[in-house]
Parts: sequence; structure tokens; C-alpha cells
Amino acid sequence: MTILQTKDLKKVYGSGESEVHALDGVNLTVEKGEFVAVVGTSGSGKSTLLHMLGGLDRPTSGSVTVDGKEIFTLKDEELTIFRRRKIGFIFQNYNLVPVLNVYENILLPVQLDGGTPDKAYIEDIIDTLGLSSKLNNLSNNLSGGQQQRVAIARALASKPAIILADEPTGNLDSKTSQDVLSLLKVTGQKFSQTIVMITHNEAIAQLADRIVRIEDGNVKS
Amino acid sequence: MTPDRLSVILFLSGILCLLAAIIITLLDFVFRRRSLRRMNDMIQAAIDGNFQANNFDESMCAAVENRLAEYLSVTETQMAKVAAEQEKTKSLIADISHQTKTPIANLLLYTELLKEEEGREIGETAALLENQVRKLDFFIQSLVKLSRLETGILALRPCKSEVAPLLEEVREQYAVRAEEKGIYLRVLSEEVREVTARFDPKWTLEALDNLVDNAIKYTQTGGITVRVKPYELFVCIEVADTGIGVAEEEHAKIYERFYRSMAVAHEPGVGIGLYLTREILRQESGYIQLASKPGEGAVFSMFLPKD
Repeated sequence: MTILQTKDLKKVYGSGESEVHALDGVNLTVEKGEFVAVVGTSGSGKSTLLHMLGGLDRPTSGSVTVDGKEIFTLKDEELTIFRRRKIGFIFQNYNLVPVLNVYENILLPVQLDGGTPDKAYIEDIIDTLGLSSKLNNLSNNLSGGQQQRVAIARALASKPAIILADEPTGNLDSKTSQDVLSLLKVTGQKFSQTIVMITHNEAIAQLADRIVRIEDGNVKS
Repeated sequence: MTPDRLSVILFLSGILCLLAAIIITLLDFVFRRRSLRRMNDMIQAAIDGNFQANNFDESMCAAVENRLAEYLSVTETQMAKVAAEQEKTKSLIADISHQTKTPIANLLLYTELLKEEEGREIGETAALLENQVRKLDFFIQSLVKLSRLETGILALRPCKSEVAPLLEEVREQYAVRAEEKGIYLRVLSEEVREVTARFDPKWTLEALDNLVDNAIKYTQTGGITVRVKPYELFVCIEVADTGIGVAEEEHAKIYERFYRSMAVAHEPGVGIGLYLTREILRQESGYIQLASKPGEGAVFSMFLPKD
């Protein structure tokens, strides 16, 4: 089952002389349950692609379909809610809420949506990610690796259709990176999550089931 | 103010209140009907199989719609799983009959020959026979392991264990074979005396065996290095060879059941080892990873959780 599809996705920044084609007709399909790594050097358009996939920015032309819905036909406010319900994000700088403790951070997207959290499921996630003893800590007091584990838990908690990870280990040393990536892989496997991970690092990309290379705004096959 | 005017005002405000009440009741009725109709439409669409969550606003109705979408997607996934299982069983039966056909046909042929030969050259034919029986035996044994693992008859029992004994076992099992082939087998178990992880020793050895077995099979010069890399939450057992390597487009496929790369079609094997290895690791909440390019060797890494 296809969970994510882009059709002839284009993004142009600037106009005239200074026109930059950040994305130049990207066609990408991701199946449910797949772990896909998108690899490219800086300036290849991989971050722009991630922003389009996550509905964080609108493309110049082309479409993105997530879980059967063409997301750019939605109005801004609808898109925000769609993101909250269907897409889990993991960022390089974790983006946790510093005034909330670990447990509150994990529950935040579910609670924003007015849903009742699936307690057993959330506990399973917390356990798998080894966060049980840290639940009452403020996120600021955690190490980078621990913060990123909280971010993974948060992304999983709302059972999104897809998880987008943008250089998830960009701020971590290589040893911690390996642990965080292992957890991402194992939890993805365990909870049958679809994951798209953006990275510039070939070695990190080896973790994925499939590697997509992006160069000058286009997918190379 | 005369009592007359007061009663008129009271009367009028009474009427106004009544009117307001009627309007509110009517509006409520209309809204409720609309909500119910929307839900009715949703359920109808769900029955017809063309349901889609289209509303992403903060209303309760949109939330209900989204929950329904989630529910339907879960059901759909389960149905797809059942269908996939059936498909798997079908292809498994097809694979088994295909894989057993040749050895059985050969066995029959050699038996015929044996009957006719009457004392001459029996040794040679018997060796051929033995070879076929071994193939069949290996295949059936793999199948049995596989089905036990898959049906959960033999559930894995991961427990905290030392990693070093696994490596020593591997060295004992494969040292001779590597030597016979003229390649080295370096097992670096000395420096990891204390390292432990949560795994099922018997099955994990099976998983590691498969990797080392493959490494020896596909390496002609150079050799194999087995080492352990401990991390904070995971332990990695790495099997690195200097063999033929794996093309990137095959990195995912090699774990599929009965998949054999065209590049190794001449080597014996049925394409079960890596599938089994991946299943074992998955059941231990670990995973396997490959880094390789054709001609540059392959590095398989087994990741096991520490606890």
C-alpha cells in the first residue's frame, strides 16, 4: 500500500536571474511500513523535499499525497491539523518543549488533538525507548541522545501515517548516533511505522530498507 | 411607570424569550441533523469502501471522522495482512515443490543407475546420491527451523548473556573450513570478555553462523573478521569479509525468503539463511544492517539490545 507519493514536485526560489530550482520534478513513492533514507549533499534539495513532504512549505507545482490525501489542496489551517494527525516529525535539534517534562512532551500531540492517549501503547513506546526512569525530568536536563529519544517517542505517540526525520543525529556524537538510530530502526520495525529519513551521511543511510539519492533537486536512480 | 406599561413590557419580553427559545431549538435541531447526516454519509462511504477524511478543522465532527479513518485504516491493514499471509503460504508451497523437485528427481535417477550397475562404480554413484540427500536434508531442516520460528512454536527467550562465547563457538566451528579455503578467520573475542546483551544464545548463534557461513562461501581471497562493538544501548556484532560484496539494489532483497542473487547462482544454497537471521534478530528487538559494494567485501552488523 502506498502511503506517500509525490508527483512532479517542483519548488523554485526567487525569480528571473536569481531563480533557483530547489526541487526539479521529484517523483517519489513510499510504501507503508518502509524505512526510506533520502541522501544528498547540502544544497541538493533534500531539506526542501522534506518540508514539502511534511506540508511545512507549499511547492511551486506538483502534488504530495499522504495517506490518500493530496495535502496541498487543504487550506493552511486544515493543513496544520492534518500535519498534527498524520505526520510525526523528528528534527535535528529535537524541538521539545522545555517547560514540560518528558511524559508531557510525549503526550503533547495527542492532547492537542483532544484525543485520549492509548496508555498501553504509550507505555510500550516509553519502555522500548528506555525512557521509563526519565518521565518526570524536564527535557532541558537530558543529554542530546535522550532528548532525541523523547522526540522519537513523541513522533510515535500519535500513531501518524508517516514519520519524517531530518538529520536526526546531526547534533549527536557518533556513538550516541548509533544508539539513537538503532532505536529508530527497532521501534519502526516493532510498531510497523513508515519512516522517511533525510541525511547527508551514507553510513547512516545504510540503516534504511531503501536509499533514495537526491542531486540538484532531482531523484537519481 | 403605569402598571399597564409594565405588563406590556413584561408581555413583550416574554414573547421575545419564547421566540429566542424557538429559534435556538430550531437551530440546534438543524445543526444536529447536519452532524448526524454527515456521520451517516461517512459511514455510508465507509461501507462503500471509498471513505476519506476530508475535513481538518477543530470541530468534533472532523475529529470523529479522523478516528473513523484511523479505524478503517487499521482494519484495512489487517485485511491486507491476512491476504499477504495467504499469498506467502501459496508461494511457500510453490517454492518447496520447486526446491525439492530437482534433488528428488536426481535421487530417483541415481537409484536407477545403482540398480543397473551391479557392483561397478557404485562408490561414485553413492557419493552423488549422498550429495543430493544432503541438499534435501539441509533444505528440509531450514524449513523446519523457519516454520517453528514463524509459528512461534519455538519462541525465542532473550536473556542477558555474554557475547564472547558466541564468538568462540563460531571460531571453533569455522576455523577449519576457512583454513581449507585458504582465507583467514579473525575472531576478536578477547577484548569483549565482559560485554553482555539481551539475546537468546542458541538462536543468535544460528543467526551469526549464517553470516559467517555466507562470508566464507563468498570470499575467495583475504578473509573474515568478526568483532564486537559495544554502544550504550546496543551491542553490535560485526562480520566483515573481503568477498564479492552485494550490489546496492540487492541490499533489501537478500533478506527475502528464497532470494538468491544472480551473482551467486553457481554456489549451493536455498536463500534461507539471511531471512532466518533477520527474523531471529527481529524477535530479539534487534536488527541487521549491511554495508557493501560489489567487489569490495561486505560488512553485516547484528544489533542486539543491551537490556
